[in-house]
Amino acid sequence: MSRVKLLQISSVALILLGAVLVFERPAYAYADPGTGLLAVQAAGSALVATGWYLRRKIYSLFRSVDAPRAESDEQSVAADGEDSPNP
Amino acid sequence: MNGPRKFSDRESALPPLDTELELTFRDPAGELRLAKGCALRRIRAAAEEETRAFLESPLRKTLERSGDLISSRIAEPGSHSCISSGEFWLEHPRIDPISYPWEWTTAQWRAAAELTLRVASQAIDAGWTLKDATPLNILFSGPHPILVDVLSFERRDPHSSVWLAYGQFVRTFLLPLLAAKYLSWPLQATLFARDGYEPRQIYEALPRWRRMNPKLLDVVTLATVFERPGQRRAASKKTPSTTDPALARHVLQKRIARLGRQIRHAAGERGHSQWSRYEQTAGHYQAADVEEKQQFVKSALTRCQPRHVLDIGANTGTYSLLAADAGANVVALDSDSAALEQLWRTALDRNKPVTALVADIARPTPAAGWRNREHLSLLDRLNGRFDLVLMLAVVHHLILRHQLPLTHVADLCASLTQRWLLLEWVPPSDPMFQEWLRGRDDLYGHLTEHDLTRAFAPHFAVVDRAQLGNGRVLLLFDRIPV
Repeated sequence: MSRVKLLQISSVALILLGAVLVFERPAYAYADPGTGLLAVQAAGSALVATGWYLRRKIYSLFRSVDAPRAESDEQSVAADGEDSPNP
Repeated sequence: MNGPRKFSDRESALPPLDTELELTFRDPAGELRLAKGCALRRIRAAAEEETRAFLESPLRKTLERSGDLISSRIAEPGSHSCISSGEFWLEHPRIDPISYPWEWTTAQWRAAAELTLRVASQAIDAGWTLKDATPLNILFSGPHPILVDVLSFERRDPHSSVWLAYGQFVRTFLLPLLAAKYLSWPLQATLFARDGYEPRQIYEALPRWRRMNPKLLDVVTLATVFERPGQRRAASKKTPSTTDPALARHVLQKRIARLGRQIRHAAGERGHSQWSRYEQTAGHYQAADVEEKQQFVKSALTRCQPRHVLDIGANTGTYSLLAADAGANVVALDSDSAALEQLWRTALDRNKPVTALVADIARPTPAAGWRNREHLSLLDRLNGRFDLVLMLAVVHHLILRHQLPLTHVADLCASLTQRWLLLEWVPPSDPMFQEWLRGRDDLYGHLTEHDLTRAFAPHFAVVDRAQLGNGRVLLLFDRIPV
C-alpha cells in the first residue's frame, strides 16, 4: 500500500472520528430525563426573576419608595414572563 | 377554621384487614405499615429531628385542621407489637379503602393535584417545602383527597428558588393528564408507571405539529430538548439560588400558580360516555319502575341498616347516594370513568361518604409494585368488608360480556359481603339482555330467575323479592352462615 493511500485512509478515519465526537448523542437509556425539567424550571425562574426586577426598577422610576409590596406582585400576573406559554 | 368533614374517623373506616402489611419501604426516611385500626409509620433516626420539628410546626396544625393532611400522633412504645423501645413511630387513622391513582377519574386527579399544590404553596409561605409530589401520597377519604405522607415535608432554604419536587409533580400528575387529553392514554395505564411519564415518552408519541402547542411546549418539548446525560447534572449538583428570600418565595409561588393553571387545562371537561347519560336515556325504564326500584332499595336499607356498602356498577350513583343518605359508608365501583365522575362530584357537593373507584369487577385491578406487594389488588382491599353489596343490573353484563358462570358470580358476592346482597336480575326478555345476547340464544337465552337463585343457594337465601313492571326482578339475599 502506498504512503499516499495510507494517508488518505487515515484522513477519512480521522474525519469520521471527529464527526462521531462532534455529533455525539447520549444513549437514551443513560440520559437523565430530570435534567430537561430542571432546565425548564431554571428558565422559568429566570423569566419570573427578570419580571420581578424590571417591575421594581420601573416602579422606582415613578415612586420614590423602594419597591412594590408582595401583594401587588401577585396581582400583576399578566406582566410576568412565567405566564407566557414557555418555561 | 373548620375544613370539610372527612371520613377517616376510625368508627367510619371499613373493618380492618386481618394481616399487618408493610406497604412502603422505598423512603429512606421511614416505612409504613397497616395495622388493625390504624396505619403505623416508622421514622428512621436520620429523619427524626426534621419530623419532630414538622409535627410541632403551625403548618402541620393548619393542614390537619383544614383536612388536607392526615392526622398524626406519636405512638407509645409497646402499643403495637412492631414497635420496639427507642424507635420513633407515628400513628395515623386508617383511610379505607385505599384507592390508587389508576382507579381515579380525571376530576379526582385534578382534585389530588390541586391539593398537592395547595399544600406546597402553604408550606412555602411557612418556611417548609414539599419534597415529594406524587399522587401515590394522596388517598381519598370519601370524596375528599387527603395527603397522607407526613415525611414529605422538610425545612426550606429561604434563598432557594428551586422546588425539588417540580419534576416529580410534572411526571406523575401533569404528564399523565396531558397524555390522557392529547393522546387518549387512559389514566388507568399509570398502573405501569410508578414514577409517571418522562417528557420524551409524550414527545415521541405526539404528532410533530402538536409538539409546538403552547400547552405542551415547556413540560414536553423543551424538557425533551434540554435533556442531558446524568453525569453532567451530577457535576453541577448545586441548585440555583437567589440571595433575596422574598424573590425566592415569589418565584416558587409563581411556579405553583402556573402548575395549577396547567393542571386545570389538562384536566378540563371531557365529553359524555356511553354510560354517563344512561339513566336519562334508559328507555326500558318507566318512571313507575324507577320509583318502585328506589322504594325497594330504600326499604332494604332500612331493614339491613348497613354500615358499609359496596355498589358494583354504580353508574352515576343514584343508589350509592341512597345508601349514603341511610348512613352507610359507600364504595362505588364502575368501569365508566365519566359516569363515576358525576357520582364523585355529587358526593363531594353533598359531602357524602362515597369513595368512587374506576374499576371493572370482571377484571379487578391487580396487585402491583415490588413483588406485587406495594399496591394491593382491588379484591384484597374489598373482600369481606361490607354488610351489603348492591349489584343492580350487573349480573347480565357478567354473563353476556364476560362469559362468567352464575356460580362464579355467586362465589364472588359471597366473598365480598358479610351479610346482605341486593341484586337486580335482568331476564333474557329484557331489551338490554337482548342487546348483549348477539345470537347466543342457545347459550344464554334460556336463563331464568330460578337458575340465578339456584346458583346463589349455597351462599344465600332470598328474603325479599319484587318484580318491576318491565319484568326485572329485585332480590334481597341474606348470607347463609358458614
